[in-house]
Amino acid sequence: MQVEKFYYDNKTVRNFAYATIIWGAVGMLAGLWVALQLVFPQLNITQYGSFGRLRPLHTNAVIFAFVGNGIFMGVYYSLQRLCKARMFSDTLSKIHFWGWQLIIVAAAITLPLGITAGKEYAELEWPIDIAITLIWVVFGWNMFGTIIKRREKHLYVAIWFYIATFVTVAVLHIVNSFELPVTFLKSYSWYAGVQDALVQWWYGHNAVAFFLTTPYLGLMYYFLPKAANRPVYSYRLSIIHFWALIFLYIWAGPHHLLYTALPNWAQSLGVVFSLMLIFPSWGGMINGLLTLRGAWDKVRDDVILKFMVVAVTCYGMATFEGPMLALKSVNAISHYTDWTIAHVHIGALGWNGMLTFAVLYWLFPRIFKTELHSKKMANQHFWLGTLGIMFYAIPMYWAGIQQSLMWKQFTDAGQLKYSFLETSINMRPFYAMRSLGGLIYLAGVLLMVYNLYKTARAGKLVANEAAEAAPLEKIYVKHAGEHWHRWIERKPIKLLILSLVVILIGGIIEMVPTFLIKSNIPTIANVKPYTPLELQGRDIYVREGCYVCHSQMIRPFRSETERYGEYSKAGEFVYDHPFQWGSKRTGPDLAREGTGNLKKTDGWHFRHLREPRDPSPGSIMPPYEFLTTQTLDTSTTAAKIRAMQTLGVPYPAGYDKVANQELMMQANGIRINLKSEGIQVPMDKEVIALIAYLQRLGKDISKPQNK
Amino acid sequence: MFKFIKQYAETINGANIYPLLSLFIFFLFFVALLWHVKKMDKNKIAEISKIPLEDGSENELPG
Repeated sequence: MQVEKFYYDNKTVRNFAYATIIWGAVGMLAGLWVALQLVFPQLNITQYGSFGRLRPLHTNAVIFAFVGNGIFMGVYYSLQRLCKARMFSDTLSKIHFWGWQLIIVAAAITLPLGITAGKEYAELEWPIDIAITLIWVVFGWNMFGTIIKRREKHLYVAIWFYIATFVTVAVLHIVNSFELPVTFLKSYSWYAGVQDALVQWWYGHNAVAFFLTTPYLGLMYYFLPKAANRPVYSYRLSIIHFWALIFLYIWAGPHHLLYTALPNWAQSLGVVFSLMLIFPSWGGMINGLLTLRGAWDKVRDDVILKFMVVAVTCYGMATFEGPMLALKSVNAISHYTDWTIAHVHIGALGWNGMLTFAVLYWLFPRIFKTELHSKKMANQHFWLGTLGIMFYAIPMYWAGIQQSLMWKQFTDAGQLKYSFLETSINMRPFYAMRSLGGLIYLAGVLLMVYNLYKTARAGKLVANEAAEAAPLEKIYVKHAGEHWHRWIERKPIKLLILSLVVILIGGIIEMVPTFLIKSNIPTIANVKPYTPLELQGRDIYVREGCYVCHSQMIRPFRSETERYGEYSKAGEFVYDHPFQWGSKRTGPDLAREGTGNLKKTDGWHFRHLREPRDPSPGSIMPPYEFLTTQTLDTSTTAAKIRAMQTLGVPYPAGYDKVANQELMMQANGIRINLKSEGIQVPMDKEVIALIAYLQRLGKDISKPQNK
Repeated sequence: MFKFIKQYAETINGANIYPLLSLFIFFLFFVALLWHVKKMDKNKIAEISKIPLEDGSENELPG
C-alpha cells in the first residue's frame, strides 16, 4: 500500500511544555510560600495573601496548571505518534492551549480575591467551571478526531488511559460543580451537608485518580518504553491494570470521610475498594519497573530513566500507603494531620513531578533537534528533587503522627494532656524542615528551567516533524478466532462508552442511596436554617478559606468529644451549602465553637480575629484585621435567601424582604456585646457577621431535644 | 435534589441489595477480564506493545 507522508505538530507540544514549566515553578513557589506562612505567620501579607486564599492557589496551580499542562504536553506528543497522525485540528489545539491558560489565569486572579466555591480542589466559581467544561470538550474533540483519522489499527494502552481520563474527568467535574449562581461570581453548591461531602470526595479522590494518575500512567506506558528503548514488560498486565484501576478507583472516595457523619455502609464500601486498589496500582508499578529488565545498567547513566524510576517507585509507595490510610484504625490516627500532606506530596512531587521532568528532558532535545544543554545539571536536578522529596516527606510523617498522638493523650486523671495550641506550637520545627525540603525541590526545578531554556536556545523547533505511514485499510477483515476485546481496542467510541459504564457503576451504587433513602440522613428537629447575618458570616468563612485549616466534623472518639463536644450527626448539616467539614486540622475543629466549654465571648472572637496571637500566643493563624474595617455587603442578602429557598432551605415565604432588617437587629446585638467588653466597632462590619456565624456553630444540637 | 423521584425511592425495601449487587458485578467483571487476557494472541501482543517504538518519525536524536 502507498505510504502517506504527514507531519506531527510539535508546536502545540512545545507550548504545553513551556506552560508546564512556567506554571510548575509558580505553583511550587506558592507552595513554598504557604509552607513558610505556617512557620512565620507574619508572611500573611494583606487579605489577598493570607494562607486560606493562597493554599487553594497552590493546590490548583500544581494540579490543574502544572500537571494539567503536563498531561496535555504528553498526550499531544504521544497520541500523534501512537495514532501515526497529526492532531485532528490545529485550530482546536490552539483553542485548547490558550483556553486552558486563560482558565489558569482566571484562577490565579479569583482565588486570592476570595472568590471560591469552598470545596477543595473544586474552588473555582461557576463561570470558570463552565469554561473548564468547554475547553475539556475541545480537548476531547481534538483527541477523538485524531484517533478516528489514525493510521495505526490498534489503540495502544496509553490511549485507553487518555480516553478514560477524558470521560471520567468530564463526569466528575460536571457532577461536582452543580451549583446555583447567586451573583456573577458567587454560587451555592446544589448539594448540602452529607450529600455534598459524598459528592465532593467522590470527586476529590477521583481527581487524584483520573487527573493525577490515569493520564500519567498513559504517559508512563508511552515514555518509559521510549526512554528504555524496549516494549513494556507485559502488555497483558497493562490491560488488567487499566480495567481494574478504573473499575476500582471510582468507589474509593468515602475513605476521605471515615468516622464522619457519612452513613456507615458507604464508609465500608470505600474502605473495601480502597484496599483492593493496591492490586492494580502495584500491577502498574511492577509493569513499569520491569520494563527496565535487562536495562538496569542504563539507569546508572541515563538521567531520564533515573527520574522515571523514582517516579514509578513513588507511585508504588503512595499507592501502598493509600489503602493503608483507608483502614479505619490507621485513618483514626492519620486523618486531619500532616500525614495526609506527606502522602499527597509523595504522589505530587514524586510521581507527577519526577515523571514530568523525565518527559521534559526527553522531549526538549527531540523537538528542538539538539542535545540537552547539560547532562550534569540534569543529574544535579535529579538529586535535588529526590532529596527535596525526602526532606519534605519525613518531617511531615513525623509531624502528623506526633500531633495525632498528642491530640489523643490523656493524663492519669483522665483529662486531655495538651491544649490544641500546645500541639500546634510543637509542629513549628517540622513545618520549618518541610519548607527546606520544598526549597530544595524548587531549586532543582529552577535548574531545569535554565537547562531547558539553554537547550531550546541552542536548537530550533521542528514545528512540523515529517513522518510516514501506510493509511488504515478501510474494511477490516475479521480473523477467525479473534477475540472480542480486540474489537474494543479498535473502536475508540466503544471504549469510551465502556469506560463510562464502568465508572458510572461505582458512582451510582455509592451515591444514589444517600440521596434517595431518607433514613441515611436522619433529620434533627432542632436544626434550623442560618439567620441572614449568620449566612453572610458563613460566606465570609468560605471566602477566607477557613475550611483549609479548620474542620467542622467531630469524630466519635473520646479524645475528640472531650475536646470539642458531642460528635457530629448527619442531620446537623442539612442546610450547609456547601458543606465545610474540612480535611485538615492545622487549627482546632469548629463544629461546636459556639457552645459548651468551647464557647467564648464575642469580644474574644473579635480580638482573636484581629490578631490571633493576642488571646492565643504562639498561634499560626493569619490575622483578619481587615474584617474589622471592611463593610458587609448586604445588597446580596435577599438574593442569597432566595437561592437557599430554591435549594430547599425552609425560610418562610417572603423572608428575603425582611432578611436585612433581621440582619441589622442581630448585628446590633453583637455590637452592644462588644461595646460592653470595651470594643467599639460599627455594626455593619464583616467581622460582626463572622462572629455571628462562629457563635452559631453547634448551637442547634445543644438546645433541649424535643423527644 | 431528586425530589421528583424521592417518593418512589423511599419505597425501596432497604439498600440490602446493594452489597450483593456490587459483589456480583465485581466478580463477573474480573472473571471476564482475566479470561480475555488469558486468551489473547501472543504475536498480536508483541505487535501492539511495539507501537510506541515505531512511530514512523524521521526525527532521531542527533549523536
